[in-house]
Amino acid sequence: MASEEAKEYVLPPEVLEETMRASEELWKPVRKIKFRIYKYNPKKDYAPHWEEHELEVSRGMTVLDALLIIKGEMDHSLGVRYSCRMGLCGSCAMMINGKQMLACQTRVLEAAGNGDVVELRPLDNFPVERDLAADFTSFFEKHKSVKPWIIRNDDIELNNPTGPYKQTVDEYARYYQFTDCIKCGACLSACPTAATDYEYLGPQALAQAYRYMVDTRDDGLDVRIPIVDTEHGCWRCHFAASCSDVCPRGVDPAQGIQLLKRLLIKRKFGYKPHKPAEALPAKVKAEKKE
Amino acid sequence: MRESTIMFFHYITAILIAITGLIHLLANNEPVIGAVIKANPVLYFGNMAVFLAALLYHAFNGVRVILIEMVPDRCWTKWISWAVLIVGIVTYAVGLQVLMVALGFA
Repeated sequence: MASEEAKEYVLPPEVLEETMRASEELWKPVRKIKFRIYKYNPKKDYAPHWEEHELEVSRGMTVLDALLIIKGEMDHSLGVRYSCRMGLCGSCAMMINGKQMLACQTRVLEAAGNGDVVELRPLDNFPVERDLAADFTSFFEKHKSVKPWIIRNDDIELNNPTGPYKQTVDEYARYYQFTDCIKCGACLSACPTAATDYEYLGPQALAQAYRYMVDTRDDGLDVRIPIVDTEHGCWRCHFAASCSDVCPRGVDPAQGIQLLKRLLIKRKFGYKPHKPAEALPAKVKAEKKE
Repeated sequence: MRESTIMFFHYITAILIAITGLIHLLANNEPVIGAVIKANPVLYFGNMAVFLAALLYHAFNGVRVILIEMVPDRCWTKWISWAVLIVGIVTYAVGLQVLMVALGFA
């Protein structure tokens, strides 16, 4: 019986053949592309330089695939950061032909367009760790500084959770898009303010601050206000919106910052976006009585 | 003062510039309305004093923001703010004196 059911799911030979043919077609070399790669090791090199490698690329080949071939066969010393290879971890963000992109999500032919050169360099506005890998220390410090976690004042419930906090779909929708951030650094790299003001918190950290400030489970609005409402906080955003333009996950940090500004002004007049959500009220009350 | 307060006044002064600037333009370019406005010199002087204050606040805050971004060091940020505030107050005092002389109050 089981084998009969299994047979139903076997692809017909002609479909299988077509799939195999399409797959072969996808990985067949179609064009020669020259990769112009930024090389710099701050510990050894006096100044950065460029190296060029030529590679036969196929239609399905991503920039990360090409880099791994170059690293494996042409230049073992090439420094490149990557992990998931499917646009989820944000490790492989770099400047591809002058634009912030994920190497694992960008096909070589798409990046090259009509030309035959793909230029790769580390993210702008970041110190260079080595070659294409940028140093994210300051980026993560800024992210951490806005306290990107749920802050609560009810210690009993926080330390001994009785259940999930209540939250409606509408309340979730307020911050949903900002939870998609993968911390790839593309937004900070594209930000014109961050290019001059290295103390500026940046679109990623500010959008995350807003994400937690409007989360109904959170009670840390007044804790985060002194962090984002500074000379190098959200007011330094000039709404160029290049951060939203380059975000590989479609998040709109520029919108988050504008909403954050509005929230800060409204807070001046006593407005609070929500009361902190309760977790299963009956159980909390029972625990308090004890 | 919090940055949000400073920027809130920045937006308020932008609105004030539009209103008082319009009154100033009408007073000097529209004969009928101009005569009505200038008939009350104290009110016109008040309008000009507010216009100058709003204009200077808005302009000097803009300069402050540019300087803070160009020299992001945190110890300089405070100095820049204080320096711009002092220059702004001095400029306002000089501007107010010029206005008083021009409108015949001194």
